[in-house]
Amino acid sequence: MYFVSFILKNLTRRPIRTALTVLGLAVAVGSMIALLAVSHNVEKSVEAAFDQRRVDLVVMQAGKSSGLNSDFSEFLVEEARKIPEVDKVSAGVVDVTDMTRDSGASDPVLIQGWRLDNFGFEDIQIQPGGRMLEKGERNKIMLGKTLASNLNKKVGDSLVFGGNKENPYEVIAIFKSFVVFEDGGAIVAFEDGQALTGKRVTGFSVRVKKTSPDSAAEIEIVRQKIDALRDPKDVTVRLSAQTPDTYVTSVSQLKLIRAVAWLVSAIALAIGVISMLNTMAMSVLERTQEIGILRAVGWPPQRVISMILGEAVLLASAAAIGGTIIAFLGMHLLTLSPKVNGFIEPELALVVILRGVGITVLIGVLGGAYPAFRAARLLPTEALRHD
Amino acid sequence: MTDDPASHLIYADRLVKTYPDGAVHALNGITVGVKPAQHVAITGPSGCGKSTLLNMLGMLDRPDGGEVYFRGEALSKHANLDHFRARQIGFVFQSFFLIPTLTARENVQVPMFEGPRLAARERAKKAEGLLELVSMGKRANHLPQQLSVGERQRVALARALANDPVMLLADEPTGNLDSDNAVKVLDLFASLQKSRNLALLVVTHSDEVAERADRVIRMKDGRVLSDSART
Repeated sequence: MYFVSFILKNLTRRPIRTALTVLGLAVAVGSMIALLAVSHNVEKSVEAAFDQRRVDLVVMQAGKSSGLNSDFSEFLVEEARKIPEVDKVSAGVVDVTDMTRDSGASDPVLIQGWRLDNFGFEDIQIQPGGRMLEKGERNKIMLGKTLASNLNKKVGDSLVFGGNKENPYEVIAIFKSFVVFEDGGAIVAFEDGQALTGKRVTGFSVRVKKTSPDSAAEIEIVRQKIDALRDPKDVTVRLSAQTPDTYVTSVSQLKLIRAVAWLVSAIALAIGVISMLNTMAMSVLERTQEIGILRAVGWPPQRVISMILGEAVLLASAAAIGGTIIAFLGMHLLTLSPKVNGFIEPELALVVILRGVGITVLIGVLGGAYPAFRAARLLPTEALRHD
Repeated sequence: MTDDPASHLIYADRLVKTYPDGAVHALNGITVGVKPAQHVAITGPSGCGKSTLLNMLGMLDRPDGGEVYFRGEALSKHANLDHFRARQIGFVFQSFFLIPTLTARENVQVPMFEGPRLAARERAKKAEGLLELVSMGKRANHLPQQLSVGERQRVALARALANDPVMLLADEPTGNLDSDNAVKVLDLFASLQKSRNLALLVVTHSDEVAERADRVIRMKDGRVLSDSART
C-alpha cells in the first residue's frame, strides 16, 4: 500500500460527502476560471489587435478612462501625422450605439468609424458577396460575423440606429476579424461614425519609423511629442499616448473586467476555503480514534498533517478538474447568448487554467491546514478515548 | 523496587500521573521494571491506574513525575518518541482500532510507514507473512467489518508486530472476545512471545489471562499492591 492509496481510501469512505464537496468547490472554481478566462481573452484580443496591426502607440484624450469617452479634434490627428518620426496614423471613432432590430427592440452595438487607410482594413477578412467601403460612401455598414449572425442580417439588408428609419444603413459586407469584439461590432465610414457617436475623433493608432535597434527610445520620443500637442481652439484638451501594453492595463473597461474576475476569484477562494474547512474538520472529528491509533503506532504529527492536507489537496485537485470542465462548458453556453457572444471568446488559455488550478490547490491547503494541525496535536491517549 | 534501570528492558521509576483536576493520582509514585522476553500481567480494579501505567510505558502519554527508562536510557531525553514507539513497541487494544476502510493486509501495513524503509511491495509481502503467522492469511483482503471479533484481534496483533518490536503492550486484549476466541488469542500471544522473544505486558481484569504470565503485578490506587513471579 502506498501512502497516497491510504489518503484516497479516506476520501472514498464517504463518497457522497466527497462528491458534494468537490461539486460545490468545482462550481466556485469554474466561475472563477471562466471569469479569469474572459478577462484574459479580452486583454489578449486587444493586445493581439495592436500587435498584428503593428501599432506602436495608442492615443486618446488624456484624463479619459477609455477610448469610448474620449473626444478631440481632427486637428490633433493631423498634427501627429506631421511629427517626422511618425510613419502612419490611423484615426477613428468608436462608441456603443443602439442598433434597432426589425422588431423595434434595440441592442447596444460597438460601432467603429474608420477611414479607408485604417490599419484594421489590412487584416479583416470580407466574406464572399461582400465588399470594402469605398471613398466618399455614406450610410454603408460592414457587420462583424458574430453581429450579423445575431441580427440575422446579410449583404444587401438594411438596418437603422436609434430607431431612425429615415436614415438606414445598407449592409455591404460581413467580415471576420481576429479581434473578438470587432466580430461582434460594425464598421462604418469615419464621417458616419462621427454622426452616429456625436464625437469628432475618439482615438488614433500610430506606427513609428524605426531607424535604430533601440525602437523603444524612438517610440518614447514620439510619445512625448504627441503628449505635448495642443489644439489652439481648445487648449484644455490634451492627448495621452501609450504603448499598447500600457494601454491594455490602463483602460477602465479592461480594469473593471479584471477587477470583477479577481473579486469573484476572491469570493470563490473564501467559499472554497470555508467549504473545505468544514469537510475536513468533520472528517477529522469522525476519525479521532483512528488518528489516535495512527499516533499510537508511531506516526509523527508531520505524517498526520501530510495525510489530512493530502486529502484536502486531492479534493481540491478533483474540484480543479471539475471546475475547468464547468468553465469550458459555461463559456460555450454563454457564447450562445447574443448579448455577450460579441465580447467573449470561449477559449481557456493554459495560463488561466494553471492559475485556476493554483488557486484551487491553495484552497485545499488553506482549508485543510487547521483540521490537519488540530489532528496532529491530538494526544494518542485522548484520541483513543474519544467516542 | 530499587533495581538498576539498565538491567531492564523498560523501567518505570516513581511515576506520578495526576488527572487534570489535580484531585486524583492515577499513578502514585509507582516503580515497575520489565525484563526482556518477560511476560507480565497487570491486574487490579477499575481506576487503579493499570491502563495509565501501560500508556506511560508505551510513551503514549507523559508522566507528571518520575522517569521511564528503555534499556537504561531515560525516555524524557528522547527527542523522537514517535520513532521510538514505531520501532520498539507494538500495541494491542481491547477495541482493536482497525481502520475500517483498509483491508486486513493494509491495516497491518499502517505502522510500516514509520518502520524500517521498505518498498510498497515489500510492505505488502511482510504484512501477508504476519497475517499467516496469526492464521489470517486467507482473510488478508477482507475489511474489518467482514471479520469476526476474534479475527479482528488477530489482525490487530499482526499490526502490532509490523515493525518487529521488542515489546508488546496489550490493554484488555480479550475484553471484547468470547471465551473460545479469548483462548485462541491468548495462545497466539504466548506462542508469538516465545518465538519472537518479546517482552509482553498485558493489562487485564481476567484471572485466566493473568495466570498465563510469568509475573503478576496487582495495583490499587495508583500503587503496586503486590508483584509476584509465578513458579
